[in-house]
Amino acid sequence: MQTSEAASAPPSLDEKKKKVRSTIWVKLRPVYPFIVILAIWQVAAMQAQGNQGRLFPTVDAIVYRAWELVTGPMFRALAENPNLGLFDQIWKLGESPILLHTLNTAWRLPFSFFIAAIVGTIVGILMGRFAFWESFFVPLLSVLLPIPAIAWTPIVVIWSGIGDQTVIVITAFASFLPIAMAVWTGVKTVNPVWIRAAQSMNADKMTIFRTVVLPGSLPMILSGMRIGLARAWRAGVGAEAFAGIRWGLSAGIFDAQEYLDIAFMMVALSVLGLFGFVLEKVLFQPIESRTVIRWGMMEAMGAQDKKV
Amino acid sequence: MVTKISIQNLRKIYDTPERRVHALEGVNLNIEDGEFICLVGLSGCGKTTLLNMLAGFVEITAGTITMDGKTLTQDYDKGVVFQEYALFPWRTARQNVEYGLEIRNVPEEERRRISLDFLRLVRLEEFADFFPHNLSGGMRQRVAVARAMAFDPQILLMDEPFGALDAQTREELQELTVDVWQKTKKTILYVTHNLSEAVYLGNRIVVFVPNPGRIREIVKVDLPRPRDDLAPEFIKLQRHVNDLIRDF
Repeated sequence: MQTSEAASAPPSLDEKKKKVRSTIWVKLRPVYPFIVILAIWQVAAMQAQGNQGRLFPTVDAIVYRAWELVTGPMFRALAENPNLGLFDQIWKLGESPILLHTLNTAWRLPFSFFIAAIVGTIVGILMGRFAFWESFFVPLLSVLLPIPAIAWTPIVVIWSGIGDQTVIVITAFASFLPIAMAVWTGVKTVNPVWIRAAQSMNADKMTIFRTVVLPGSLPMILSGMRIGLARAWRAGVGAEAFAGIRWGLSAGIFDAQEYLDIAFMMVALSVLGLFGFVLEKVLFQPIESRTVIRWGMMEAMGAQDKKV
Repeated sequence: MVTKISIQNLRKIYDTPERRVHALEGVNLNIEDGEFICLVGLSGCGKTTLLNMLAGFVEITAGTITMDGKTLTQDYDKGVVFQEYALFPWRTARQNVEYGLEIRNVPEEERRRISLDFLRLVRLEEFADFFPHNLSGGMRQRVAVARAMAFDPQILLMDEPFGALDAQTREELQELTVDVWQKTKKTILYVTHNLSEAVYLGNRIVVFVPNPGRIREIVKVDLPRPRDDLAPEFIKLQRHVNDLIRDF
């Protein structure tokens, strides 16, 4: 009797709780594999002894090192001059090495990608529109594309020396190639029935290009940009290390190798990973969801799995 | 009645390095203003070729096409409805209908008014701000009809526009097409290989046969509208056209 009553009672409160719990779970789901891996890391690192422990730091040691890397200069300055003003304290934060490394990578990479996107789009359009430029660029790009851009670093270093410009040239070059190819393919493969429809309404060539070819090839162009960014990221990080510059996340990682500073490397690697993730979220997803996804053009390309 | 389009001794030969296709030979046809003409025939009989020549997509090998007594130019105003979905996915239904008006530099407010008028004509007013991929196949073709008509074309060319749709939707759109034709009084050329569709829609049915593509006979359809596709006269006519296509 009692059990049947309990069963018939409206379980509204419980249900609400369940709902809240399930939404939290949905948000946390992508995070939990990292927690598992970090836990395993922590347990393993705690087994390491002495010198071995230095080479295999625990998670809390890495987190502490991250804190130290960010705030170190500020606390050192405070120790020297306890009366330091708040503004100067914050200013000192800017001298932290990890921040300098990050900032250097953070402007060089998007800057190089931006150049590559502009030049790549122009070359791709020229190739798609004019047979002359197509026959000029296609053989060149086909030969250059399979060469890892990082392999050009020694030559570029000899020609343009050690410094930002070398890293920028390598990064931009690496990302320009796939972008030009994608824009070319996109322009060439626009659905011909759209062009006929525009022609039937007496649109001239330039208008058709502007109002049909460009939006029609946007899915290809965006996917080219995505590949371009990934290439830029890889080449840029490699070039930083090989071009022998001082500031940059991967330059920092290779420096840290000299001092066996594993914690620094882990921190810098995490920043690199986070960086790529944020670029994807901030740059591509908003553009895509406002254009090609909204227009239903991604299904046509068979890329629904991109929504994960 | 006034002759709108006059086609004389039209010939089309496709010359490719591999082979030579004699697509059309000796085509003569006069189309009156406001007529609804259906072109029927087996595949490869040249009906779509004729439509493409009228649309200016394909060059004429020999013969002449005149419109209102003048030789046809590339850029006269025609509306084309394709078999494939030819709407621009990046434009809403209304923006698609406005495309031709933009080309013609019609001011924005007027564009909006005209496009909504034509969306109303195809009974899609409430879907004006939908993107094509959110519309069903039948709705997309209705938008395509509205787009072709909003342009206020001299003639409307339709190439198996409802071929990819299910039977029920197709019937609905045939009825709608007749309605649009009666309201706008446009000259329509309609390619199909569905004979029931041809008898339902056309004032005259032009029957093509292949090798080389030529006109076999022009069948006049005198049945009153709206037509009943189960009436004995309707079926008799449909059978007659069917015989013309197959036995020659």
